Amino acid sequence: MPTIYETVSSTLLWAVVASLIVAVPGLTIAYLLARREFFGKKVLSTFTTLPLVLPPTAVGYLLLRLFADDGWLGRERLGFDLDIILSWKAVVIACSIMSFPIFVRTARVAFEEVNPRLERMGRTLGMGRQKVFLSITLPLASRGLIAATLLGFTRALGEFGATIILAGNIPGRTQTLASALFSAQQSGNETLANQLLGVSLLVGFIAVYTTERLASKRSLRREQTG
Amino acid sequence: MKGVKTIFNISLKARFGSLKLDLGYKGSKRVLGVFGVSGAGKTTFLECLAGLRKVMSGQITVAGEIWLDTDTSCFVPTEKRHIGYVPQDHLLFPHKNVLGNLEAGKARAVQGGQDFQGILKKVVAVLELEPLLDRSIDQLSGGERQRVSLGRALCSGPKLLLLDEPLASLDLLLRRKILPFLIRIKEAFELPIVVVSHNPTELQVLCDEVLILENGRNVMTGSPNELFTSDSLFDVAKEHGFENVFSGTIIEKSDQVDGLSLSGKDGDLCIQIPATDALLGERVLASIGFENVLIGLDQPRGLSARNCLSATISRVENAGTRWLVHAVVVDAVPEFVVEVTYDAIEALQLESGARIYLVFKTSSVSTLTG
Repeated sequence: MPTIYETVSSTLLWAVVASLIVAVPGLTIAYLLARREFFGKKVLSTFTTLPLVLPPTAVGYLLLRLFADDGWLGRERLGFDLDIILSWKAVVIACSIMSFPIFVRTARVAFEEVNPRLERMGRTLGMGRQKVFLSITLPLASRGLIAATLLGFTRALGEFGATIILAGNIPGRTQTLASALFSAQQSGNETLANQLLGVSLLVGFIAVYTTERLASKRSLRREQTG
Repeated sequence: MKGVKTIFNISLKARFGSLKLDLGYKGSKRVLGVFGVSGAGKTTFLECLAGLRKVMSGQITVAGEIWLDTDTSCFVPTEKRHIGYVPQDHLLFPHKNVLGNLEAGKARAVQGGQDFQGILKKVVAVLELEPLLDRSIDQLSGGERQRVSLGRALCSGPKLLLLDEPLASLDLLLRRKILPFLIRIKEAFELPIVVVSHNPTELQVLCDEVLILENGRNVMTGSPNELFTSDSLFDVAKEHGFENVFSGTIIEKSDQVDGLSLSGKDGDLCIQIPATDALLGERVLASIGFENVLIGLDQPRGLSARNCLSATISRVENAGTRWLVHAVVVDAVPEFVVEVTYDAIEALQLESGARIYLVFKTSSVSTLTG
């Protein structure tokens, strides 16, 4: 049996990796949805939100079909085995997919809050689109983007439904904080369940509290400048 | 004309919502004003010049550089046009302090082979920004924001400065503080400037030539004085505060009045104006309403009005429902315009070439700067 420390640290690690994986495509899609008009924008927006409204087990099952031997990304079609199912990679993938919508939605709002006329001012000062993004849009959206990252991270941390279907609940291999708590409760190990609950509460509190603080600083600043 | 370089060569056709922009202008004057009521398309015109809006067809050439030519599919993007754009609401970057804002266009200035530190120093001196450099944007007053916004545009080494209603967002008191800075910019930086405004006095002070915009079309072009005293525009211009504007140097100061020399040296051309904050020797812009000047055929005696200037009528003309007498004091001072009734013209036999005296009270003069 892994110790609580091992369970918690591997859960944190997987959530961090999932957040990193989500960051680049998430930022790109959030920016496109906030700033550009293009064909299929609403469809893209709907698809990125879908994991938020579907039962997590449905998403897990969909991923399972995808990575199964006869799935689109399965051994038979690719000619080699990605070795996803029931591995730590499955945990990371499930966490990434499940935290993607909340990251994109929060980041999109952060980008939308940046006055586009400030970006145009940047262009009149000789900045190309990339420089405008890096030196105006990104810093002005930074608080919102940090909040998006934290929310995405906590979503990944607490992921259960999709993970348990794709990665299982193998102690020492694919067991996360959420699935360990589930097992402890099911097997009647109240002490362990309580300890895991304590850790969950602590991590969750820190993340949400930080987000709240960032959000209140942001609205305070808007009041001052607006 | 030989030897006179065309600075602006602009023709634009575009439609933005209900606004149809269709104008052409070619000119060699360095400071161009654009006058029009709100909704006439002034800001849209500026945004087209800046490349922030795409037009259906047209050409833009500024100081020899082609920025747009739809015939040859040439479109230089905003960031490559070397413009300094000062919007009405300043739009300073809230995540940078004043110095950071001034440095926002540094890369372009350096790329253009300009000495950025030199420009920065000059801008800071001209706009008196030294004490503000470390401040964050939310610590600035309206007038300070305007100065920083002007400074930011100038520091990027522009080849054209675009000013969108530079004084509109400021109250009267602040306008008097900012207007001298605009004049200084005009004098210190040898740049083509386009100023958009619905304030005729502002354009009269700053511009060499004014373009009148009406529903997206330029209906008239000419010198500010000529245009705003014209038949069709005088009423609108007057409604927006158009007056006689003259500049002079403070040569005397007392508690209640200042002596303003219009020529800068000749004692004869000294008028009294209400006391200002300006120091001795400082240049001041003053204005007086057209209806506040009296015309006398002889030098009046025993009047309380303190100012009396000898002048020659250059023309008498009808402007809308009113009659205007244009009079030259000396060549170096802009013409005075006096609004009179037709009765007065007949009774005094006012006609061009007649010698007259312009009489006005000290208190009817107001100062635009200082």
